[in-house]
Amino acid sequence: MDNIVLLVVLPLLAAFLMPVVARSSEVLARTLGLSVLFISIAIILNVWNQSGQIDSQAVSIAIGGFLPPLGINFYVDQISLFFALAVPVMVLLFWPWNRSTSIREYSLMMLLTASASGLILSGDLFNIYVFYELLAIASYSLVAIQGRAAAVAASFRYLLMGSVGSVMMLLGIAIIYTQTGTLNLAHLSLLAPEKLNNILGLGSFALILTGMGVKAELFPVNSWVPEVYGSVSSNLAALMAGLLSKLAVIVIVRLLILLFPQPEALQLMAVLGIMGVITGELVAWRAKDFVRMLSFSSIGQLGLVFLAFSIPGEMGMMAGIAIVLHHMVVKPALFMLATGWRGSLENLSGVARRSPFAVLLFIVLILSLLGIPPLPGFWAKYLLMVGLSSQDGSIYTLGMFIVPVAMIIEIAYLFRLVMIMYRKEGDEAAVNNPDIKVAPQSHSKWGLAIAASVAAMLIAIVLQLQPASDKLVSLASQLSDRNQYISTVFPQIHTVRMQSIK
Amino acid sequence: MTVLDDLLLFTALASVAIIALRRFASISKFSVVVYALATVLLIKMSALGYGGEPVYSSFTVNVLGQILQWRFDALSWFFALITLVSALLAAFFMSGAWGEKYCKEHSKEAYGLLQVALILNVLSMLVLLASGDLLSLFIGWELVSWASFMMMALNPDKLARKAAIKYIVYAMAGAMAFLMAIAMTYNMTGSLDYVQVMQGMAHLSNSQIALLVSLYVMGFGIKMGVIPFHLWQAAAYAETPGAGAVFMGAISARMGLYALLVVIVQIIGLTRVAAIEIPYTFLDMQNVLAWVGALTTIIPTYIALKQNDARHLLAWHGVGQGGYMLLGVMISDSIGTAGGIMHVFNHATYQAALFMTVTAVIYRTGTSNFSKLGGLVTQMPLTFMVMVVSIIGLAGIPPMNGFVSKWLIYRALLLDGQPLLFVAAVIGTLGTILSVYKLVHNTFLGQLRLEHQEVREAPLSMLIPMLGLAIIIFATGVMPGVVLDWVAAAQIAVGIAPVEHNLGGIELVQGGLDMIWVTGIMFYGFAVGAIIFYVLGGKSKHIHQYDNYAGGHFLTSKVRYHYSNHFYAGLMHMIGGWYRNVFIKLEHALVSLVSFMSQFSENFYRSSQPVMLVAVVVVLALYFVLGSSGGAEVSAGVSLGGFNQ
Amino acid sequence: MPAIEVVLYSGAIGLSIIGLAGLLLLNNVFRMLLALVILEAGVNLLLILSGFRLAGVAPILLPEQMSNLSAIVMNDPVPQALVLTAIVIGVGVQALGLAMIMRIKAQYGTLNMLKIREQLEFDLAVQSGVATPVSAHSPVSLASGRERQLSNHKDEQ
Repeated sequence: MDNIVLLVVLPLLAAFLMPVVARSSEVLARTLGLSVLFISIAIILNVWNQSGQIDSQAVSIAIGGFLPPLGINFYVDQISLFFALAVPVMVLLFWPWNRSTSIREYSLMMLLTASASGLILSGDLFNIYVFYELLAIASYSLVAIQGRAAAVAASFRYLLMGSVGSVMMLLGIAIIYTQTGTLNLAHLSLLAPEKLNNILGLGSFALILTGMGVKAELFPVNSWVPEVYGSVSSNLAALMAGLLSKLAVIVIVRLLILLFPQPEALQLMAVLGIMGVITGELVAWRAKDFVRMLSFSSIGQLGLVFLAFSIPGEMGMMAGIAIVLHHMVVKPALFMLATGWRGSLENLSGVARRSPFAVLLFIVLILSLLGIPPLPGFWAKYLLMVGLSSQDGSIYTLGMFIVPVAMIIEIAYLFRLVMIMYRKEGDEAAVNNPDIKVAPQSHSKWGLAIAASVAAMLIAIVLQLQPASDKLVSLASQLSDRNQYISTVFPQIHTVRMQSIK
Repeated sequence: MTVLDDLLLFTALASVAIIALRRFASISKFSVVVYALATVLLIKMSALGYGGEPVYSSFTVNVLGQILQWRFDALSWFFALITLVSALLAAFFMSGAWGEKYCKEHSKEAYGLLQVALILNVLSMLVLLASGDLLSLFIGWELVSWASFMMMALNPDKLARKAAIKYIVYAMAGAMAFLMAIAMTYNMTGSLDYVQVMQGMAHLSNSQIALLVSLYVMGFGIKMGVIPFHLWQAAAYAETPGAGAVFMGAISARMGLYALLVVIVQIIGLTRVAAIEIPYTFLDMQNVLAWVGALTTIIPTYIALKQNDARHLLAWHGVGQGGYMLLGVMISDSIGTAGGIMHVFNHATYQAALFMTVTAVIYRTGTSNFSKLGGLVTQMPLTFMVMVVSIIGLAGIPPMNGFVSKWLIYRALLLDGQPLLFVAAVIGTLGTILSVYKLVHNTFLGQLRLEHQEVREAPLSMLIPMLGLAIIIFATGVMPGVVLDWVAAAQIAVGIAPVEHNLGGIELVQGGLDMIWVTGIMFYGFAVGAIIFYVLGGKSKHIHQYDNYAGGHFLTSKVRYHYSNHFYAGLMHMIGGWYRNVFIKLEHALVSLVSFMSQFSENFYRSSQPVMLVAVVVVLALYFVLGSSGGAEVSAGVSLGGFNQ
Repeated sequence: MPAIEVVLYSGAIGLSIIGLAGLLLLNNVFRMLLALVILEAGVNLLLILSGFRLAGVAPILLPEQMSNLSAIVMNDPVPQALVLTAIVIGVGVQALGLAMIMRIKAQYGTLNMLKIREQLEFDLAVQSGVATPVSAHSPVSLASGRERQLSNHKDEQ
């Protein structure tokens, strides 16, 4: 169990070793990165097999033997273990395989892996901040390293926004610290009802939300999304949209559950979520190329996520997790399909004739994204709608009307695209700007394989609806269980309020 | 394994088989056999049609605390019968010459896809009809929507593509309204099971019921194409490839009515709907819905009058006839609902027959444009006869079956004391008669065009289902009791007193209807007329079809005289000003609104200073924070250094 | 609150506001980066102050102090550690930002944020093969930006 720590240590080590090793042997450096990823996956699978009790009982690992609240700890429960597994798996899937990739990019990928694993496992705010910053630096650099001028400019704008966001987050953490005198999440959670249930606590949540929101594509700190996704390779865009945004969301949700009991915190998230959904879908409706459409659709989906998590109670938690997991697999698959379909939407005219399989996959994926029963996306939407309608607040009522409108807009633009794909060839030649037209290339086999396996996964879930829904319920109940978190980290106390260490 | 299990499993396996075998030539024969076998399985459940106990499926799914289940009752059985028989006839219709031509014009693959779309439609409809709770109803609902979309999208023409995309947007809007209503129902009643929801509804306030009813009706109404959601349907159905249009015109749009019967009539109950007063008016919710039905009979029918393409004219009629069904159901007594439900059957028969005749005409002449047709009666007499029988049914004239259901609806309106609705229904019927005459006149009457002189009668594979339908139309017109048995069972299933009937028609204290007598007297009258004509002289003169003149000029045989452009010019001169395209403009306005909002939102993502948004959101969030908790608690620890004070 | 604390706090808040204002109002990317530095400095100072005691000593427990723990006022070490990390990260980010600015200058030939954004939009549109967002009648000449870029390439050669 303790070797969970290696999930952070090994990739971090590899990140700094790789450029050094590359001086002597490039091949060795490349294999080093890959082998670390495989080892990480093996470790997690091993942990999963060994301790079946993770399903019901989480585990806290004190690093270096110093017990929390003074020492730092990793908190391992189902959801963090799942995301810790998702990190190396997805990094591996979207690994920049081509030979021309410089060793620096691999090194940055390893940094990304290390910080992402650390972010999801960390049990205190300080480490969350540090890993978040590392993740941010890794992603700025990965965007900038793509080489094109646009990528550098987009990355710089992303950097400005992200740095200001993390300064805000730091300020929020400082406020929390001054109020409670601790940064350990479990300890904070004990103190929160007393010391953070006030206006300063709420203010610090707003600041942390803003900071984390930059990564989580929260409205309106997400204007980097279309620029960055438009200028980087599909692999990286898939990784960022699929994995990194979800990690930030899960961390925000964890903080929300443990630290901020105020209903206003939820309302704030609901408002921003609603704005994200409607603006994202509206702008995607106007998008002229596939990647931009996907970027804005991703913003809209993340808005849905925030809206779902803002619903108090089990239903909202279930809806949120369902949408997160669903979007986490579907959006990367769509980005993989985008590799072959760069360029204007009009260029995709009649593409169904040339690559029918890819178009079929695309349709299955977007049907699930739209929430067409019985595909998994439907159950997520269903939970969201039931959750929204169970609340009284006017914001939730507004959300209940906004979400359907957003879905209608989404279906309009996605199926407009499908119709373009099924157009007869030669019919209405795309007259755009003839000299800057990019012809659709064919898909890489790897990308198609990823998309196909995601589609197969979706259908498998439909066939195994009952166990999947049971799993979702157990995930949601564990994520929303504050007492379990506290009693896992501090086994000596259960109900007795722990004295402040001060 | 119950019979329902058998039926659903069989259809599902058949879909898989048809998908696998779609490239083989024998697929058309195979699919006919499939539908025939499915119909046999359905007939095994025929006890349902005469008041039998519901048949449950042994397959259930437990998901997220909901038990999804499937069952058949009399109402489902009635709709399923129409579905399977329409599918059988459509499959037979396209199995022969039509299919071969379709293969030649498009491709074998396209024909296979048409067969796939048909079986998927049938499967999804059976799933919908079998649903035993609101969630499975929704799942079935969406499956039907997407299966229909597949069918429509098969036509690669630009117009058809536009119609299909419009359809799917409307369908999504309907589905979303439905989903919202389901979510609310779940929270209000704590369950989605029909029985438990029915019990829970009793405790809800009128305003809650009003909200639910509006959302449900919006969801179902979009599928039915009622005003103001009628724009999508006609173009979408008309542009579906021929045999597909036969099936969809017959039954697809009626799924909205099925769901409405289940949810509004059976679960919520029309008495609850009638109890909702609309503020500031003298109407209640039920009246409003009845008026929606009445307007739906009028407006689309008069839009149909202006169409210049046979398929579009028929499809617009389909929308209008849906209004009759809604109107009949909304009268809520046993006669009105019987009329509404029976009209589903009757409409399916003659709409399918009409689409078949039009498809046959297209098969022979290559067009359904009125300006390019005319005089085909000499070339395609049997097709003409089928069309005449069907339009008599559609117009609601005895002795065909359309008369019976319309009579029931009129009768119920009069008994219920709704003269205004009655007048509205009559205006609708007037429009129907005018436009079906336009259909038959422009296609079959007048002089034959030169290029159609070689046209022959439709091939046998197409004639057989057409003639079969014509016989059904006539037989159920003369003996409506056959259908009324099923209708009465369906009425019991949705909780309405069944209509008193016998084989010939309705037994009613205030004056019933016996179609056997009506038909008898009609034919007696015809016979008397014929006898008078032939016995007392029989003076008639045969003249050649081209022996006529116009405007003082004798027409040569080179100039074919057929009045089809600007048909009803005189009428249009009177009512033409009423066509204002209000709904089309409304639709355009909505699209413009979305476009405007979209441009507006894009500005959020195009700011030149990326930090500006961070600053704005921080300021707004802090403002929100300060505003929400008031200033009272600020003193709790405003000093940043104050944690150990 | 002692006067010195007031001065320090207002200094820290003032620095943050200057930094934020700079980020919002300036157009030159280099100055924006400097504004970011100032903002970070301000926030870091604020953090340090939150753990600062006027009479405090360094938080190191010496053996002779063990007898009367309550009498000692120590500065809080946690904010200091936090700030130390933040400074290190901040320096890293600034260095990265500077490197990017150099690349931007080399490729776009300008440091003006407005122009960079327009050029970025133009590039994104070209890359994705859609019509460029700027109309022919726009007063901002992107073509000149392109030419500049080309001439820069020539310079490099």
